[in-house]
Amino acid sequence: MAELEVKQKRLNGRGLFWTWSPRSEKEAGESIVRNLLLHWFPAKVTLKSLSWGYSLWLGTITAALFLILGITGVILMFLYVPSVERAYQSIKDIEYVVSFGWFIRAMHRNAAHLMVASAFLHMVRVFLTGAYKNGIGVGQNRPLNWIVGVVLLLITLLLSFTGYLLPWDQLAFWAITVGTNIAKSAPLVGEWIRFILLGGHEIEQNALIRFYVLHCFFLPSAVLILFSYHMWRIRKDGGLACVDNLVLSQKKEKVKDGIKSKTYSLLGLTTGRTVQVEATLLDEEKYTVNSVPFLIRRIGLVMLGTFIFVALISLFINAPLEEPANPNVTPNPAKAPWYFLWLQELVAITTIRIGGFVLNGAFIGGILIPGVLVLLLAIWPYFDKSSNLNTGVWFGKERIRQNIVFLVLCFFVILLIIIGTYMRGPNWEFYFPWEPWPEIPKKF
Amino acid sequence: MEKEKLKKDVIAIYAVAVIGLIVTLIVYVGYFTPEWKMYQSEFKKYVKQKLGEEKAKGIETGIKQIYVKELRRVDRCITCHMGYEWKGLENAPNPFKTHPKEILDKHPVSKYGCTICHGGQGYALNKEEAHGFIEHWEEPLLGKELEDLYRPPDRKVLMQMNCNICHRYDTLTAGADYINYAKKLVKEKGCRACHKINGRGGVIGPDLTYEGDKAPEQFDYARIGGRKSVFAWHVAHFKNPKMVSPESIMPEMGFGSREAIALTLLMLSWKKVHLPPEYYPQSYTALADLPTPEEIEKERQMREGEGAFFVNKGCFVCHSISVFGIESAAKIGPDLSNAVEDVPSRFGKTLENFIKEPTGTMAIVLGSQITLTDEEKATVVQLLTKAYEKYRKQQLTSKH
Amino acid sequence: MKLNRRNFLKTIGIGSLLVGLVGQLYTWIRSLFPNVSYESVRRVKLDEPDKIPDGVTFIDDIKAYIFREGKTFYAISAVCTHLGCTVKYVGLSKPKIVKIGGKEVEVKWEFHCPCHGSKFYGDGTNYAGPAPRPLDWVKVEISPEDGKLVLDLNKTVPQNYKLTV
Repeated sequence: MAELEVKQKRLNGRGLFWTWSPRSEKEAGESIVRNLLLHWFPAKVTLKSLSWGYSLWLGTITAALFLILGITGVILMFLYVPSVERAYQSIKDIEYVVSFGWFIRAMHRNAAHLMVASAFLHMVRVFLTGAYKNGIGVGQNRPLNWIVGVVLLLITLLLSFTGYLLPWDQLAFWAITVGTNIAKSAPLVGEWIRFILLGGHEIEQNALIRFYVLHCFFLPSAVLILFSYHMWRIRKDGGLACVDNLVLSQKKEKVKDGIKSKTYSLLGLTTGRTVQVEATLLDEEKYTVNSVPFLIRRIGLVMLGTFIFVALISLFINAPLEEPANPNVTPNPAKAPWYFLWLQELVAITTIRIGGFVLNGAFIGGILIPGVLVLLLAIWPYFDKSSNLNTGVWFGKERIRQNIVFLVLCFFVILLIIIGTYMRGPNWEFYFPWEPWPEIPKKF
Repeated sequence: MEKEKLKKDVIAIYAVAVIGLIVTLIVYVGYFTPEWKMYQSEFKKYVKQKLGEEKAKGIETGIKQIYVKELRRVDRCITCHMGYEWKGLENAPNPFKTHPKEILDKHPVSKYGCTICHGGQGYALNKEEAHGFIEHWEEPLLGKELEDLYRPPDRKVLMQMNCNICHRYDTLTAGADYINYAKKLVKEKGCRACHKINGRGGVIGPDLTYEGDKAPEQFDYARIGGRKSVFAWHVAHFKNPKMVSPESIMPEMGFGSREAIALTLLMLSWKKVHLPPEYYPQSYTALADLPTPEEIEKERQMREGEGAFFVNKGCFVCHSISVFGIESAAKIGPDLSNAVEDVPSRFGKTLENFIKEPTGTMAIVLGSQITLTDEEKATVVQLLTKAYEKYRKQQLTSKH
Repeated sequence: MKLNRRNFLKTIGIGSLLVGLVGQLYTWIRSLFPNVSYESVRRVKLDEPDKIPDGVTFIDDIKAYIFREGKTFYAISAVCTHLGCTVKYVGLSKPKIVKIGGKEVEVKWEFHCPCHGSKFYGDGTNYAGPAPRPLDWVKVEISPEDGKLVLDLNKTVPQNYKLTV
């Protein structure tokens, strides 16, 4: 009889997924703390954090796009051959004879472009809501998470850039030629960076395999690691910045004198009172709901929606493939990928001549200006002296000037991208969108 | 109340799921009904009707391809053009028609594939992209569509261009009359006097050995009307070189459409290709493009003989100097053998004065295209005087 | 009535979610099953019979040895019947007499497999090592179109299948 009982216990489905059963609520709680995924999310979440209007859910969308890219990317890795002789042919095969190959490739490509856009918009949102600012919790370090985010955006650009070369067609070859020559114009190390990136001086097999490894292993791994940290930091910083704002306004309403609450440290990393503890002051019924199911469900909705959106547009927007790469013939115009077109526009117009002294636009437009912009982004939170009442609110009153400066910069970048994409024709000449380009000659 | 709002997420998820299902269904409809499946089922019907049920049953369906490793080509044309090997479908409509047999016996499909001769995009599985009249594909089908566009005097000649990929070093190739004609023109007109072809020839014009590899972007279309293509450029240029590129010293040879198109096809066939030796028809014996001893001697005399100066300066493009063994291709100007007496009779001044102060066409030529130093001008007079002496001697000997 | 409609919507929603996701999942799996093959041919055309060298020749494309003894041609696959390595032709300096299937036969060469030490007599019969059966013999035929010799792996032939022209 005893034996039978043990057997039954083993047959119990739970045994397949759980190594043990929690015997108390404490143990059940610990199991959640120990779970990476569940550890990202709090037990309760404020309605403001859940709302569409505050965060626009751009971070989740970016993460969903990364997931789509990961899945379709792994499939494509099985189908693609990273060799200069076979790469182009293997892409043609993906397009024509692999079942659903065209669809998977289109999804990968569209998701990649959307991810650059959504990561950028996510950054804009965080800036405009002052969400890089610390609020009231001790141990918060939102500026650090902002820098992690900036790095993630740069890696996203690099991921897109490295993926561009792989089809080994004219588009790929010349976009990478322009791109790596921008890198070359960096002072002192530029030449060296290009050499190590290409594994030589020419875009050849060495460059292809390097870009392939960067694209499929190195950069995605970096994203995964930093993304995990990014999410963990959000949790340690007390959730989205709007929570701080909510607590502050509540504090004003309810508590005039000091707050009595316990102090504890988590893994020894944070000391003092955390935001979660302060948040218990909130009127729970009024302002918060349980994460399960509300938060999980909305994340599911956003992820599903992103997936379906990418699938939908992939029906109409297919990934391009031009002629096989030909190092002797530059197509006219030769354009970098769109997210670099503002740089290409800059490098085309910023060459400075003072007497006999020439400063190449590739340096000013390609290195100096974007370098300064990235540096400015990274250090901005440390110079933002507005009070913490501006944390987690759209267009905080004390941050109007900052927001205007930031938006103007963004506007210029976007404007240059639009000009570069739609209004630059052969020989980088300006054409209005309604003006036809000269006919592109064919062989026959 | 807020919670009620959040509960609407469920409805949103359902709605998105339904859209997702529709998208997925569209993808699957495409998967189950590609264009080639329609052609395959029509082929089955056609065979059943013409050759009986038994034959139709034996047809295997699915994507078919010919992979020719040696030529690095994959051709999936036979996925739709299923009847290419069948007996009894000689009069069937395309794409089911039997391929003419004689040519396939010499060029087995398994060794050549389709596109090496016909052009088109072997990778593709739908008509438009496979026939290659799309953006970003430079090898369209060399068939009816292109001939309607360029209207060569004879039909089915464009494909001969690709014969010459392997038959490049042949003098005569059975069935490729345009290419044969063009090769004859190359010898007759002495193209090699100015142009290097297959490593042999002059340096006055550009090397033409790999002319077929030049990209469309490398030509200037400003002075040609109609379609902007390499093919159209060459045809126009052969007919009237100066009109297409004014600074060219290439003489007008009076070519008509037939000559121009034949030569264009020949030139476009001169490409760098990876071809294993067994693909060259005569590789086991000798390359047939080798010059005869007389041709070598003639070329040597032109380049190194007494009149080498006139060859190197490009004068011979228009003028022959028969006493020095120099033969002009275009023969636009008079033979310079008797220039010493010919110039005064034409222009009323001595050769020496004419060279210093030329008039008429020569004023333009010597002013822009061929510039001579004073020393060189003296050489001209000296050499032509020598030529005249020779000419006189020949005249005398022939009279007696 | 209201409850029914709700259940109906729920079924539609969850149904399309599941079907859609399974459909998408299947595209990923299906894409990994190739529709076309780039593998090498299983049938090779050699030269005219009288241009084949006497004795043994190794044919790379299909990994087989072709033998010519005057007007007789036969071919033995070089793929070891154990685990597929390519066996090596070993000419014997002194022919030896061995018993194959009860008959005494003179052997002038052998095949040795480098991977696991399998050994075969000249006719492909295995006699040492792990190989479970003799080497395959390959169909030799004259092509109907042009009279050239053809080796075809798609057709199986018994041991000692020879072609005399």
